[in-house]
Amino acid sequence: MKKSVGLAALVGLLMSTAAYAETLKLVEVITSPERTEVLKGMVEEFKKANPGTEVEIVSLPWGQAFEKLATMVAGGDIPDVVEMPDRWAALYAGSGQLMSLEDNIAKWQYGGNLTQKTLDMGRLAGGKAYMLPYGFYLRAMFYNKKLLAEAGVANPPATMEEFMAASAAVSKLPGKSGYCLRGGPGGLNGWIMMAATMNGTNEFFTADGKSRINEPGSVAGLQFLIDMYQKGYAPKDSVSWGFNEIVAGFYSGTCAFLDQDPDALIAVQERMKPEDFAVAPMPLGSAGKAFPTIGFAGWSIFNTTKSPDKAWALVAALSAPDANATWAKRVGVIPIHKGAEQDPFFRTPQFAGWFEELNSDKYVPTTMPTYLEQFGYFADSIALETSQQALLGDMTAQELADEWAAFLTEEYGKWKAKQ
Amino acid sequence: MSASARRVPGETRARPNFIWRHLIEPYLYISPALVLIALVMVVPLVIGLSYAFQSVVLLRPSAGGWVGLANFAQLWGDARFWRALNNTFWWTFGSLVFQFAFGLGLALLLNTQFAGKRLVQALVFLPWAVPTFLTALTWSWLFNPVIGPLPHWLAALGILSEPFNILGDPALAMWGPITANVWFGIPFFAITLLAALQSIPGELYEAAEIDGATPWQAFVKITLPFLAPMIAITVMLRTIWIANFADLIFVMTGGGPANSTQILSSYIFTTAFRKLDFGYASALAIALLSLLLAYAVVLLALRRRFVRI
Repeated sequence: MKKSVGLAALVGLLMSTAAYAETLKLVEVITSPERTEVLKGMVEEFKKANPGTEVEIVSLPWGQAFEKLATMVAGGDIPDVVEMPDRWAALYAGSGQLMSLEDNIAKWQYGGNLTQKTLDMGRLAGGKAYMLPYGFYLRAMFYNKKLLAEAGVANPPATMEEFMAASAAVSKLPGKSGYCLRGGPGGLNGWIMMAATMNGTNEFFTADGKSRINEPGSVAGLQFLIDMYQKGYAPKDSVSWGFNEIVAGFYSGTCAFLDQDPDALIAVQERMKPEDFAVAPMPLGSAGKAFPTIGFAGWSIFNTTKSPDKAWALVAALSAPDANATWAKRVGVIPIHKGAEQDPFFRTPQFAGWFEELNSDKYVPTTMPTYLEQFGYFADSIALETSQQALLGDMTAQELADEWAAFLTEEYGKWKAKQ
Repeated sequence: MSASARRVPGETRARPNFIWRHLIEPYLYISPALVLIALVMVVPLVIGLSYAFQSVVLLRPSAGGWVGLANFAQLWGDARFWRALNNTFWWTFGSLVFQFAFGLGLALLLNTQFAGKRLVQALVFLPWAVPTFLTALTWSWLFNPVIGPLPHWLAALGILSEPFNILGDPALAMWGPITANVWFGIPFFAITLLAALQSIPGELYEAAEIDGATPWQAFVKITLPFLAPMIAITVMLRTIWIANFADLIFVMTGGGPANSTQILSSYIFTTAFRKLDFGYASALAIALLSLLLAYAVVLLALRRRFVRI
């Protein structure tokens, strides 16, 4: 008798704690120790405002995040809230695993304060807001003022021809190169940007569903980067450089130009004096336009969550204007709420390049076709291998373009068939 | 006490059922072990093998189904597979030859007596204790011309025309992970061969010396034949390990540049976890498994043929 009473009490206790301490699992996928600290701080605020709700933060290092999250989800260990990079959104939204945030955003007190771009990007995969972006990564051109002066280049390049000429001039200096080329992981943005700029359009597909990457203009853009490398205007080992290497190449003064997002500014500002570098908009192509790629990441909720309201409350807390401004400054993204550029933090010469791109119609921010299900595989494996082959001279620009076009056209066909 | 245990004196002691004693009872005793092995080894293996004949895409479980030999047909025409196979051969062969040569040399050295031998012995085994991830990172920094000394030394020796990172050169990149792997793998051969060396009776060498054998003759006629069984088994194990060992490559070059360091096991990883195509990855894994099995069979046959101990 005593035993059964004790057992009942234990069961009761377990059930009551289960009912009271609701635990949300939050997975972040683009991590660094400092960034995780910022996130923890924001989550603490949320916990104070929502007593009885626990949040377990799981930090996956970016290098293995894709397969780890995929394995977690496939194995049934599904988080409530996840940091969703643009390139995976289609995969999860397409397989019907994400909750639509449309109603929540419509009812949210700050819903009307989001920029149109934020809403458009959030709806890019699957047509509904399956994620609420937290900021944008837009490309602009960092340049080293000292190196340009030494090479006798007066101004940062405004056009692609000037860019090539300035790179050639800097490369004549001993041990220096013009361009911090990203030939390794994550290099696809550079290739796509150059192809679009030389082709005069950032459309990826024609009306009848063919990839435009192998049109003559685009091929000229691919050839531009191949020339840059083969003529020695980029360091020899830049064929395998990823983010850390190009940023280090820039701040160590090895190369004079770097096209990057605001998140590179964090590392560069730490190591270079503000007067030694600046950020200009991307050089213009023959059509008088440039197409810097814009990337983003945001928060998504898996539709398996047991507490959708709490999960949304967490996303809303992370995305509120104050929290978002803090986050944007610390991780190096352009914020999602209207009027953010008035913040003194963003009104510096270093940020000028980005805001000029955002405010001038010569610059058309380009989103990658991340809605294609195999886009992540294309960017991380196929494009990586083949672009390296092209840089090393094992493949011509035309062959490269044809191979990419074949893959993208097929993927686009699959996507279209589902619409 | 049961009645059968108490025998009546003079009763014929009939043999219990032969089938029960020899064919059933022993297997009942080992059945827990058999069941356990089946659960942890055979079942996953069979499931894994069966993936090769199916379409298994991780995030689209509904699109799966049996596809027969389609995955293998794709493999036959896949240039990446053949390239990875070729790289696997050079990676394994390059690493193994140097690991074995240096390991044997070190074992012979450690088998002699000299001052500070214990300290040297401890140091020699150190690489084995370093995590492979750390080994790979350290070596990739050593090959970086901005902070590492190796490119400058190689250039000073005239091996490189100028100090550059060989990991970025498709013709040379494989030597980066191979170097790290040689450093990492020497202790294995040194330890195992040293143990085998110490078991060779000293009298044999004394007798050889009296007969006027040169050190080379003693090495070829005594040391090598005695080491042969150990060499055969360690070389076989090590080949299989190296062929499957993609950690160093993955951290140092990621299979690049332009696939020049992609080996079969890293290709399997990419296919499974980047393309999320477990069906094709499984077909690749079967190809690798068959090759290694064939290799092991050949090596064991050679061992039986040539090694007499």
